Amino acid sequence: MATGSGNGSGGSSSGTASTNHHHNNHHLSIDMPEHRKRNTFTSYVAPLPGDLRLNEWSLPSDQRDVHLAKPRLLLGEQIVASAPAYMYSPIDPMESATSSSNLLHKEAIFGLLSVTNFKLAFVPLQMARQAAPNSSASAAPLSDLYQENTYLGRNEITLNNIDQIYTVAELGRAASALQAARMTSSRRKKLEPFKQQTINGRIAALHIVCKNFRLLKFAFQQQDSKLSGASDYGKLIASALNRFAYPTRHDLSFAYAHREAYYYSSLGVSGVSMYQTKNDWARELIRCGASEWQVVSSANVPLLQNPLQAGKYTVPPHFVIPKCCSIERYLDLSRAFCDSRAAFWVYSYGSSGAASLVRLAELQPAAQQDTKVENIMLELVRKCDERKQLKLLQLTDRLPSIQDVQRAYQKLRRLCTPETPEKFMLQDDKYLGLLEKTNWLFYVSLCLRFSSEAAATLRSSITCVLQESNGRDLCCVISSLTQLQLDPYFRSIDGFQSLIQKEWIALEHPFQRRLGHVYPLSAGANDQFHDSEQSPVFLLFLDCVWQLLQQFPDEFEFTQTYLTTLWDSCFMPIFDTFQFDNHAQRARAAKDGQLVLRPVWDWSEQFSDKDKMFFSNPLYQRQRASDMGSSGGTGGNPSGLRRSLAVGHKHAASSAVTSTPSRYTINPQLFATQSTVPQDRFLMPAHRIFDLAVWDQCYYRWLPVLDIRGGGQPQIDLFHRLLLSNIAKVQRCLDLQNFDELPDAYYEAIGEAKPKRSPIAATEEAVADQEPIEYVDGVERRRKSMPPPPSTPANGLHTAVNGQLQLSSLSSFFPFGNPIAGDAPHQLYDILSSSNELLLETSSILDKSSIV
Amino acid sequence: MDPSLSLADKLASKTASSNSLDSSSKSSSGGGIENGVLRDTPFAYLDGEEDQDQKNDVTYVCPYRGPVFGALTITNYRLYFRSLPLRDQELPVVVDVPLGVIARVEKIGGATSRGENSYGIEIFCKDMRNLRFAHKQQNHSRRTVFEKLQANAFPLSYSGRLFAFAHAAARATGAAGATAAGGWDGWAVYEPLAELRRLGVPNDMWRATKLNESYGICDSYPAVWAVPKAASDDFLRRVAQFRSRCRLPVLSWMNPRTQATITRCSQPLVGVSGKRNADDETYLSYIMEANAQSDKLTIMDARPSANAIANKAKGGGYESEDAYKNVEINFLDIHNIHVMRESLRKVKEACYPTTDDSKWQTAIDSTLWLKHIRCVLAGAVRIVDKVETMSTSVVVHCSDGWDRTAQLTALSMLLLDPHYRTVRGFEVLIEKEWLSFGHKFQQRIGHGDNKHSDADRSPVFLQFIDSVWQVSQQFSNAFEFNEHFLITIVDHLYSCRFGTFLCNTEAERVAEDLKHKTTSLWTHINSSLDQYLNPLFPSFTHGAELVLRPIASVRAVRLWKGLYCRWNPGLCALQHGCQRTRELLSKQDQLFKHVNELRLKSNNRSNNMQTTTRLASPMH
Repeated sequence: MATGSGNGSGGSSSGTASTNHHHNNHHLSIDMPEHRKRNTFTSYVAPLPGDLRLNEWSLPSDQRDVHLAKPRLLLGEQIVASAPAYMYSPIDPMESATSSSNLLHKEAIFGLLSVTNFKLAFVPLQMARQAAPNSSASAAPLSDLYQENTYLGRNEITLNNIDQIYTVAELGRAASALQAARMTSSRRKKLEPFKQQTINGRIAALHIVCKNFRLLKFAFQQQDSKLSGASDYGKLIASALNRFAYPTRHDLSFAYAHREAYYYSSLGVSGVSMYQTKNDWARELIRCGASEWQVVSSANVPLLQNPLQAGKYTVPPHFVIPKCCSIERYLDLSRAFCDSRAAFWVYSYGSSGAASLVRLAELQPAAQQDTKVENIMLELVRKCDERKQLKLLQLTDRLPSIQDVQRAYQKLRRLCTPETPEKFMLQDDKYLGLLEKTNWLFYVSLCLRFSSEAAATLRSSITCVLQESNGRDLCCVISSLTQLQLDPYFRSIDGFQSLIQKEWIALEHPFQRRLGHVYPLSAGANDQFHDSEQSPVFLLFLDCVWQLLQQFPDEFEFTQTYLTTLWDSCFMPIFDTFQFDNHAQRARAAKDGQLVLRPVWDWSEQFSDKDKMFFSNPLYQRQRASDMGSSGGTGGNPSGLRRSLAVGHKHAASSAVTSTPSRYTINPQLFATQSTVPQDRFLMPAHRIFDLAVWDQCYYRWLPVLDIRGGGQPQIDLFHRLLLSNIAKVQRCLDLQNFDELPDAYYEAIGEAKPKRSPIAATEEAVADQEPIEYVDGVERRRKSMPPPPSTPANGLHTAVNGQLQLSSLSSFFPFGNPIAGDAPHQLYDILSSSNELLLETSSILDKSSIV
Repeated sequence: MDPSLSLADKLASKTASSNSLDSSSKSSSGGGIENGVLRDTPFAYLDGEEDQDQKNDVTYVCPYRGPVFGALTITNYRLYFRSLPLRDQELPVVVDVPLGVIARVEKIGGATSRGENSYGIEIFCKDMRNLRFAHKQQNHSRRTVFEKLQANAFPLSYSGRLFAFAHAAARATGAAGATAAGGWDGWAVYEPLAELRRLGVPNDMWRATKLNESYGICDSYPAVWAVPKAASDDFLRRVAQFRSRCRLPVLSWMNPRTQATITRCSQPLVGVSGKRNADDETYLSYIMEANAQSDKLTIMDARPSANAIANKAKGGGYESEDAYKNVEINFLDIHNIHVMRESLRKVKEACYPTTDDSKWQTAIDSTLWLKHIRCVLAGAVRIVDKVETMSTSVVVHCSDGWDRTAQLTALSMLLLDPHYRTVRGFEVLIEKEWLSFGHKFQQRIGHGDNKHSDADRSPVFLQFIDSVWQVSQQFSNAFEFNEHFLITIVDHLYSCRFGTFLCNTEAERVAEDLKHKTTSLWTHINSSLDQYLNPLFPSFTHGAELVLRPIASVRAVRLWKGLYCRWNPGLCALQHGCQRTRELLSKQDQLFKHVNELRLKSNNRSNNMQTTTRLASPMH
């Protein structure tokens, strides 16, 4: 909540009921000086043609306060359009479509829909009114139960997240806006960016399809034209979105307007290797025991510093090449390859770094007749291999193109964003067939298959070279997956983040083009150009990782929630991590555009401790005694992994044995040492489509019809957290030799009623009986009532009602999905924090075997 | 009672359950390949199991490993094949199939057949696999194998008896007999009156009656019914006349809190002329009035409405909302037994022996199996919504009320009442809704009968078990039992080793005296419960939700690979198991035990010092 709406949104306080007409203009005049430098930006904020006035008197009396429902603004954020609107859930619960019981049908929410230069925000008017109904005792903070983002509310999305906008034309006089929101395809029209479309008739509703699989539906109340004139709220919002959601240059993005400073906080402490320095690469070489390779920094290469020459090469600031090859020779060879990407080392495996993983681009189209250069390059790589062996894995022939991935993604998203219950059922009837036609799982299967092949190659001590046209797309996927399978370090949170920094950021996956952050306004068929560049290669990778997580649930420190959040974070322009195509672009933005660089890995910027807890997997095992599942190997590796500190930062890094050398010390002598990567903890995932599943949390979470209340993975995770929490509590009792605070499970296990506490506590207890809330360490905790042993009903139906530990009713998309009311948050928070203690502990008591 | 002892007991049982899944039982071991069996006795003979034939020169044409040469044994219970490994380290290929599983035996090839392994026997199984054995023509070994298989797999077609009788007889005469199995008799798991008492019957509105004790009113109904108190015995007799096969509406389940009920019956005999029956109409109003919470009654007709209408031509039909006051009728669109049989046949085609990974999803889609499962789940969820959310009583029927009706009532009861999600409760549920209310297991499975293309066969019960599995996948900690428990039930649905699934009706079972002449499957299961328990079902949270509402969408329903694809060793779905869960559980219990010891010590010390005060007092 650091970015309060204080000084940034001075305008919001000025908007009183009657002056709402001037609201936005007022805003602009205030903020104008700040943006003078980037005049291109302000040009967009010219007064819009449509009438901004909210004619509140035309609204029903209970909706006239709608102007009060203003979104919270960040520093540098400003409202460009606002309109009263109804928000609909993506599709109504199935019941209302099939059964006659319309009593369950939830009405749409009324509120104010605003477009800012950062987000599309809907603030319900009922927020204040909702507090009233039947929630007597439980003023439970529902917010505890879903992920909260510092920058975004629940009904807000960044403009960056918007992929497609559909307009639904007005149906005719008789139809209400509510009906229009449920309108089917016939009147649904895609709003093409930049095309000055003539929208015939009023826009009754907008459907907004997001890159993160969310579908937002808004309907606009038609107004009696006699009273309000021709204010078409739909058109107002649509044209604002059309102008702001598709920036033609990156410096039009909100990130440049958001000037809040960023202070390297916990990130400095955490163990993420950013691969922004030569040392980061050197340490990785040491860790892998790779002695035949050298780090090159562009800044130290005269040729690359020569302004006349530098333009010929597009190499990253730091990269690793064979030792047996001089940089001059390397650069000379690299000119034959696309994007100058000739043989970058990324990883070595084997006790002495025997075999290496290398990324290579294809020869430039013009040079393809002559493969001599390629052969020379491969020969240089082969010399680095201990046994002089090498396998070339050509990805272009084996894997989908980025256009294939994009098509698959769009088809998949169509399956996940049905706009009506009828569409949902229609898809459901032949769901698996449609799913197969998307090819998405087929591509996931291919990625897993070829990364397994690469991993197997390295395991048999043969160097593996991954080759792809420019070496910056599916190379990243296969290379990262290979390392995840081989190296347990990358399965920790720190390790995974380091892996993404290494494979995706440092080696320059073109995020800006692939994620569609910018819609270049080139002449002519810009749509096609744009489409051919956009492709969620990164999501394909995350999906593969999710599949691995399903197959090896105790091998990863992170959860699916972490992966889903990572995808969401791609559309947060405030963080630079996923915003650029290459390092040069980022450096320019920071220098010329005054962009504040803010790594996404500093999760505290976006989330509170509570939400970060959901990133850590309660099943994760720091080390495993023996092989399990399909990972082979013999015996345990006592030099376990250090727990990452990215999640929660209560515990300082311990001095325990680490497999990653410290960030700050480099001892050149270490170059001769052996790899510290354990050789017996590789994974061998199944990769057939038969073995794969659909990533329901990420893709279905916006569909409440698919939410299994009280079921799914979150319930299992919670159960394990409960176990961990019990263990932690008992351990604490043992440590203190004080058995007053034993967990309830203990009393149930021994079949003993939980004792009344000591006389002093008894009085408190009497109070607690009436108001079962107490405050422990400043945290409000709800103490559950006594277990009900006396009159257990014969049918067992009442037990849980009587106040047994009832941790039910989490959403199966938790911490996404819809929150639920009840007593759960308190218990949940308690369990989360005590289990997390154990998860983050460096010397976990779970490893002590001599307790009894 | 010494608390430390009770704790030790509980902990012991928990630790034992921790390892249960590792020792997979014979019936469900994937691929049929086993290791570590002694050479002289290839398998453990069951009580009453006797050799019928043995051939040492048979080739099993394994669809995965290719032909393997070995010995074939046929007993009165099973077919057992074991290959002779060519090299020492090689694991032998073992096929161990209860004869009850066999649907059909065919000879392949004739005396003139040429080509390797073209002469022999092909066996089609009810559990989704086919087996092929090749014989050498010159040995004349095929004839006796074929004859012995026919005689022992289809005893009812060859005037023999099912193995369950020989098995129980041998057990009874064997040492200590039935009491050896832990002294627990599975036949006693379901006591109709006790179960009704659990639901709160008798009460002001409902009574239990033994009107049908001799099965005189309805021969496919149980002896004990619960009916509205307002209906007299004579009245019940008259109502029965208006229902197909006299299966009048009787109570399946009642919500003890709201008194909303689920009753089941068969279709009314409306016919093309639209006959009415005042007694039947009054009877349904009694059912409605027995629930004070609602002035409506919902009828769930499991069939597609077109089928329900078509049934009028055969004298059946459905309740018209005009004739029945305050009644609303819904059609749940579940298809008949023939459609389900065809659908499962296609599943087998897609799963066995091999699958095409690139066409896998389309192949499963086109079986429509998941769609059918979705319909069953959706129907059950609608019943749950009526009963739980609207507190309205529901009457469920299809045509005869013993197939789709059983699926719907049993499944909705499972969703509504956590008791049915425990091992014992689930056994009760099957005994009550399936066995006592006359699901025709004999006809639907065709025990010991060689009429493999009998149109009465259908996987209705299997579909129910599949639906239960789907719910257990969506709510992994709501069930006391695990997947292995369900697979074991399916295996013994066919095996004919136990009496549980024999015969069609309770009347037949009583006439056959199954309770005394066969063993119950529940005796077998409950005597080694540990391997069937779900570690995620925690004693201390009482399984999360009280009422489950699974998602009935093909997006959320999955093909049960662990059942349908288990014979293909390459397709065995990945089992990551619950090892970590067990580790944590045992860690927790270890700590609890430790704490308990310490507390006892300090208690004793303080007791010694001042015997009057006791801290935490244990249960007496």
